[in-house]
Amino acid sequence: MENDEKVLNPEESLRVIRETIDLAKNTIRENGFHFLLWGWLVVFACVADYYLDVVLQHPRHFMAWISMTVIGVPAAIIYEWRRDKKHPASSNTVREWYGRVWMAFGISLFIVIVLAVRAQVSPVPYILVLVGFATFISGTLLRFTPLLVGSAAMWAGALICLFLNYQEQLLVQAAATVVGYLIPGYLLNVQARNKHV
Amino acid sequence: MFNELDPLLLSQLRLAIMAHLMVVRETDFNTLKTQTGATAGNLSAQISKLQEAGYIEVEKTFKNNYPLTLCKLSPKGVEAFETFYANLKSYFDNHNGG
Repeated sequence: MENDEKVLNPEESLRVIRETIDLAKNTIRENGFHFLLWGWLVVFACVADYYLDVVLQHPRHFMAWISMTVIGVPAAIIYEWRRDKKHPASSNTVREWYGRVWMAFGISLFIVIVLAVRAQVSPVPYILVLVGFATFISGTLLRFTPLLVGSAAMWAGALICLFLNYQEQLLVQAAATVVGYLIPGYLLNVQARNKHV
Repeated sequence: MFNELDPLLLSQLRLAIMAHLMVVRETDFNTLKTQTGATAGNLSAQISKLQEAGYIEVEKTFKNNYPLTLCKLSPKGVEAFETFYANLKSYFDNHNGG
């Protein structure tokens, strides 16, 4: 058996490093599943909350958000469990950081919502700031510009909320989610199909 | 002045293994095989050499009842790769910049 003992020269060494790193980057790519799952759930919850509050004037209009958690959390866990079973994969630094960013986001989100409810202020702009932050880090880790554009949309949405009431903020959140989650989510899926994640 | 390049890394497959692990930190044998395009026998032989040099750490474990071989760079391996890359860079700086 050939044991690959050919001695490389500096030019060949550099080429091997470059080619290997380019290939390795493909193993850290994500598809858009989570962005699409949470994107659609957030858009639905925003519109449902707005409709229940403004049109039907239902006192429990916020119930739409509970349905989002009830559907989203099990769906995300089942998806990750099935993916892990299908590809007993390799951990790597980028995936690890990616997971940690969203875990930190989840904890921060919970605390921010509790604080906002307690202070009787709208949590929407604070949620958008946090989402923008986590989306920006994800975009940087995945080197995926649409997520960076999406994070800018989230932060811009948070600032626009300064001038709006809660119901109007919900529509801004829905629009920012389309730009920040749904469009990058679909583009990540296209990239994943082309690059064979 | 150009420092000597680590002879252990002047092999296409061993250098590819090290470069891949620099990006992903830890990976399994089959992923490395796919990524480097090497045969299982050759990959196994080169991993052993890197392991003997203390550049990578190999852990044999199980996942869903299947054997899983995980490889990751040791701190010595990270240092070796970084030194190799720095020496390579100084070689090109000297040759391109005079």
